[in-house]
Amino acid sequence: MSSRDDILSRVRANLGVAAGDEARRAAARAVLETPAIGPRPSLPDDLAARFRMKAEAMASTVDRVATPAEVPAAVARYLAERGLPARAACWPALAGLDWAAAGIDVAARAANGDDPVGITGCFCAIAETGTLLLASGPQTAATTSLLPETHIAVVPVSRIVPAMEEGFALLRAEQGFDLPRAVNFVSGPSRTGDIEQTIVIGAHGPYRVHLILVGDA
Amino acid sequence: MRSQAMFFQRRAGEALADPRLQKNFAGLKDKFVGMRARAVANYENDFEELRDAGQAIRDRVIDNLDVWLELFEEKATARGATVLWARDGSEICEHVIAIAQRHGVTKVTKSKSMLSEEAQLNAALAAAGIQPVETDLGEYILQIADNEPPSHIIAPAAHKNLDEVADLFAATHQQPRKTEIPALTREAREVLREHFLSADMGISGGNFLIAETGSVVLVTNEGNGRMVTTLPKVHVVITGIEKIVPTLADFATLMRLLPRSATGQEISNYVSVCTGTKGEADADGPEHTYFVLVDNGRAGLVGSEFQAMLRCIRCGACMNHCPVYQTVGGHAYGWVYPGPMGAVLTSLYTGIENALDLPHASTLCNQCGVVCPVKIPLPELLRKLRERQTERGLRPWSERLALSVWSRLAQRPALYALATKLGVRYLNWLASGRDRIAVLGVAPGWTAGRDFPAPQGRTFKELYSSRQEQKA
Ligand code: SF4
Repeated sequence: MSSRDDILSRVRANLGVAAGDEARRAAARAVLETPAIGPRPSLPDDLAARFRMKAEAMASTVDRVATPAEVPAAVARYLAERGLPARAACWPALAGLDWAAAGIDVAARAANGDDPVGITGCFCAIAETGTLLLASGPQTAATTSLLPETHIAVVPVSRIVPAMEEGFALLRAEQGFDLPRAVNFVSGPSRTGDIEQTIVIGAHGPYRVHLILVGDA
Repeated sequence: MRSQAMFFQRRAGEALADPRLQKNFAGLKDKFVGMRARAVANYENDFEELRDAGQAIRDRVIDNLDVWLELFEEKATARGATVLWARDGSEICEHVIAIAQRHGVTKVTKSKSMLSEEAQLNAALAAAGIQPVETDLGEYILQIADNEPPSHIIAPAAHKNLDEVADLFAATHQQPRKTEIPALTREAREVLREHFLSADMGISGGNFLIAETGSVVLVTNEGNGRMVTTLPKVHVVITGIEKIVPTLADFATLMRLLPRSATGQEISNYVSVCTGTKGEADADGPEHTYFVLVDNGRAGLVGSEFQAMLRCIRCGACMNHCPVYQTVGGHAYGWVYPGPMGAVLTSLYTGIENALDLPHASTLCNQCGVVCPVKIPLPELLRKLRERQTERGLRPWSERLALSVWSRLAQRPALYALATKLGVRYLNWLASGRDRIAVLGVAPGWTAGRDFPAPQGRTFKELYSSRQEQKA
């Protein structure tokens, strides 16, 4: 007997059920068709304020501008304040902004190990926990938010949803039922507590996550 | 990992005699316990309701585990992953080595996988000429410390302090010795970054498998889970068959429980939901994805009185809150999993007869049961294991004799009264007028490090009957 059949038949024997029971499969499929939403924390109405508060609690820094055209200057300001190099890889969708005018050298490609800064958008953002939802794809490299020491993300205020549940619903509404290869929920810079349970910011992922909210206050 | 669980008493004794270890584990307790309490108090709704929901989700899966496994397999396969099955540790190793050889892999980066500890996968990979590199900082520390076993499921190197890590790094990396934790962390980052960029295969565990979408979820703070699932061309997921959750909504609910219970965070830094393989035009991701679904004792718990244990989401809260774990640390438990959950799992997965002390390594204070996010009745399971030991005659003859004498006495009130009366007289004679006994003749071990209080007056039964008489 294959390992698969052996394991499944022992599970069935212990449950006291037979193989090929259509009624049990149908019951499981019904769960998938109408997924029940579980208990959730109550959130305030102002999702942008909640997002900002929780993002800062996870050690992200947050800025806010009114229009996308103001993003390059905000990025330049952030990099200059911290003495970081004005050189970045960015998602292609952001390549059209006037980076040169802000004095930033931006390449529209996936980040590699040598890029000091990665600039991304986000699929949407989660107010409950101050989290970015990044969906991988041809135009949205996962490495750009992962390999550089500094990750800057542009977050349209209109894309802030209450919780993971709404994030998944939005993904399905816009990209179809199947999930993209990777859905990464990112909440602040990487960290570790593995030496003496002392939290250190900057483990394998970025040391800094800077969020630029875009939209009217 | 070969179980050393039979040596609990000796290993616990050694741990108690090691002041450095005592200090390292005291720090662990202070941080994790306080952070969880704060996270639970700050949750903006009823945390108990959340625990009930977590339990219900896990029970729904285990009660129909065969169906959910098939549904997961169908969906994962439809998304381009290959689903393999392993009865035990040696089948895990066979699968993983065959996959590595098929794709010409010579180095693998690993995100934390407890099942790879169950299977002793690293040793098997090395023997097959494949270099395994642990990338979770704690696991990496243990790997370069000559492959020490983990002492905690989410803080594997909890038993090592800063000095020990500094020595290890200096010796292994041939760099000047650093003494600050951030500098050590950066050094590890730089060493491991090279491995991330050059490995052809990533191996990870999985916090959850989602049947609805055929996905695996990895929860990390360091970002190593993202690395091993983004950069190498092959990704192998090794998980237990019980790790399935039905839907994305269920996963979202469990994510409100897991980080709060584990590290006291509302969310972990990285939660990655990985599905299938790299699409044709995708910028990154593995070209080949494999799932190895492992039994290794789990199927045997289904339908048994220990089934509740399969709900476990590996948060570590039970050990963080356990007074025994806090005192003796993780290694005393002798196998992969320590603390209350480990005492249950080690007994069940490696054989009740191979872990005789573990069900007794508990005061049954129920701290673990109170904090478990999926409401596993750990003290009850430990008590049931004790019963199974007794039924199978696995307890020492002296304990069995004592219990059978006691049960005979307890069934005969007159004899019982006489025996306790004699006992009290004997103890009073030993105390010879003082209020404590320095050496207890029948059980000298008990008084080796403390005194035994002398009985104060008469037995309870004597007092009770004289009260009744006064009333009458
Ligand atoms: S038994 Fe409960 S508390 Fe312990 S690790 Fe598992 S889920 Fe967490």
